[in-house]
Amino acid sequence: MTSLNTLLQRSESETSLPQTLKSFQLAKRSALANVLTPTRKTENWKYSAKRLGDMTTQASATNTSADLGEQIGPNTIVIENGLVKESSIDIAGITLKKFSALNEQEAELVTQGVIARSDGLQFAQLNHAQFADGLFISIADNTKAEQPLRIIVRHTGTGTSYSRVFVSLGKLASITVIEELQFADLNGSPALLNCVTDCTLGAGSRMNYIRSDMDQQEQSKIIGATGVYLKRDSFFESHCLGLGTQLDRHDFRVEMAEPGAECNLNGVCVTQHKQHYDNHTCVDHIAPNCQSNESYRCIAGDESQIVFNGRIHIHRDAQKTLGSMSNKNLLLSNSAEIDSKPELEIYADDVKCAHGTTIGQLDEQEVYYLKTRGIKDEQARQMLTLGFVLELVRANPVAEIAEQWENKLAALLSFEP
Amino acid sequence: MLSISNLQASVEDKQILTGLNLEVKAGEVHAIMGPNGSGKSTLSQVLAGNEAYEVNGGSVTLEGSDLLEMSTEDRAREGVFLAFQYPVEIPGVSNLQFMKTAINNLRQHRGQDEINAAEFMKLAKQKIQQVNLDPSFLKRGVNEGFSGGEKKRNEIMQMLMLEPKLAILDETDSGLDIDALRVVADGVNALRSPDRAVIMITHYQRLLDYIVPDYVHVLANGKIIKSGGKELALELEKRGYGWLGIDEEAKA
Repeated sequence: MTSLNTLLQRSESETSLPQTLKSFQLAKRSALANVLTPTRKTENWKYSAKRLGDMTTQASATNTSADLGEQIGPNTIVIENGLVKESSIDIAGITLKKFSALNEQEAELVTQGVIARSDGLQFAQLNHAQFADGLFISIADNTKAEQPLRIIVRHTGTGTSYSRVFVSLGKLASITVIEELQFADLNGSPALLNCVTDCTLGAGSRMNYIRSDMDQQEQSKIIGATGVYLKRDSFFESHCLGLGTQLDRHDFRVEMAEPGAECNLNGVCVTQHKQHYDNHTCVDHIAPNCQSNESYRCIAGDESQIVFNGRIHIHRDAQKTLGSMSNKNLLLSNSAEIDSKPELEIYADDVKCAHGTTIGQLDEQEVYYLKTRGIKDEQARQMLTLGFVLELVRANPVAEIAEQWENKLAALLSFEP
Repeated sequence: MLSISNLQASVEDKQILTGLNLEVKAGEVHAIMGPNGSGKSTLSQVLAGNEAYEVNGGSVTLEGSDLLEMSTEDRAREGVFLAFQYPVEIPGVSNLQFMKTAINNLRQHRGQDEINAAEFMKLAKQKIQQVNLDPSFLKRGVNEGFSGGEKKRNEIMQMLMLEPKLAILDETDSGLDIDALRVVADGVNALRSPDRAVIMITHYQRLLDYIVPDYVHVLANGKIIKSGGKELALELEKRGYGWLGIDEEAKA
């Protein structure tokens, strides 16, 4: 049994972080001695630990390219191997800073925004101890951002990188954040991207969070976590697309901390070849009168594997909670595997909570219906397979992303519309 | 056009069709009536190629070719269309995408090029208006959240777009209000031509006021026991099925 502190690579003196974050990291570094590297006996890594491989051989990724001279589009910020690139984005009411440029007060916000209940988030804890920089986004009270903010989280070259994003929404603020995970210059070498995003939503604020993880590098691993903290009457909606890599893990933690909050989590996951995708979601209902809805759809083909572990935890005081969770899965081959596990833990007595999980193949009635209109069997199956996930993809509030995802999935499931 | 001879079929080991004979010529409209459980829907499913039904006797030819040998999709490409009694909902596949794929399959079968996008949209808009549905229905998932009547209209819309040689309507009139019934009837009447044929399976004489059939057949216990002109439907309406020696209560 080894602890994750064996994977620490950088001494604390190397960073130029504000003192608050330095102290935070120092505490997290020593805490890591008690965090064990997951094995297949670790409950929340049961299906995925085998994909971790030998982690000790991974060196830190180094920044190679000073500037890639690319077209990154408007409202876009690049984080490369954990370092935030200069950007000239200037939107009224929105503060964008590198962690290294934060004042102590802002740094305090970042540490407070870290999901307190980090049990099970082994690699997020490693990230806490390791990030060298991060992106701080603060949306002032009453600010309604019209355009989405796009963050490219990129890993280049071999080794491990740690990226970090913190988003804070003031009272009645609203924003759409698009997070795109990418790899570059891998040259076939193994790479691990460890990325953590924390969001704190102020009273009455609204956030759309879009996470696009569609860079299917066979050699790469992604271990990511998203934490969300919802204050009174705030609203959070997510749309995640995950295409597999060698190991792709996303932990999603949502805390319904104050009454009246609502969250909708939507996810689509499609894997092929020998890819692996592991979704772990956990919605903590701490306050009463909150609502959470979750819908994940997964398709596993070839010899790939998808894990869905969805947890709803309704605490004793969270009366009048409305919770729902749906996970529908489609297996395209006999060698593909999907492991789905809904977990409900309910300690309040006046709640409505529903969950449903299905794992199956295509509905033959639907296939038949399409065939009676002259559509070939294979084509009918492809249409239905694509349709199974497009229902969720089309619900994406950013039309441009929905279209991009639809095209990617259509190509992946080899159907030309 | 369609020739059915001594057709026998079963579903889940239950024999439903027990020797059905029917001749349908181009240009004709046939109505098939009969009590519940007589085999009306089985006939339509067998003709469309539903693999849940097993044909264990007899033959069916479409313009001389063996229909039963053809796959479901090939039957459609040869011009057979079934308007379903219970159309399935397919969220995620839009009506537009569905119809475009279907039309291109038919065109490919006839050796034609794919339909161009503008031409297709024009056709789709025209046909959806013809069945009195809002054009927004084209973008929705196939039958997704449609009411019973809207589903039936959507079936007729598909029929109008695909222009089949042989249209089979399986209780398309059930559950429709009078306006929707007119829409369905107008759609079928618009399709009537000397080189097409229609088989209407129905419970009620009502539809036949709007689509006047050339022949009416009574199906009971898996075979056609009486055939006649449109006046037969009126007689059935008045007298029920009892006078034909069918115990309707036992079947229902």
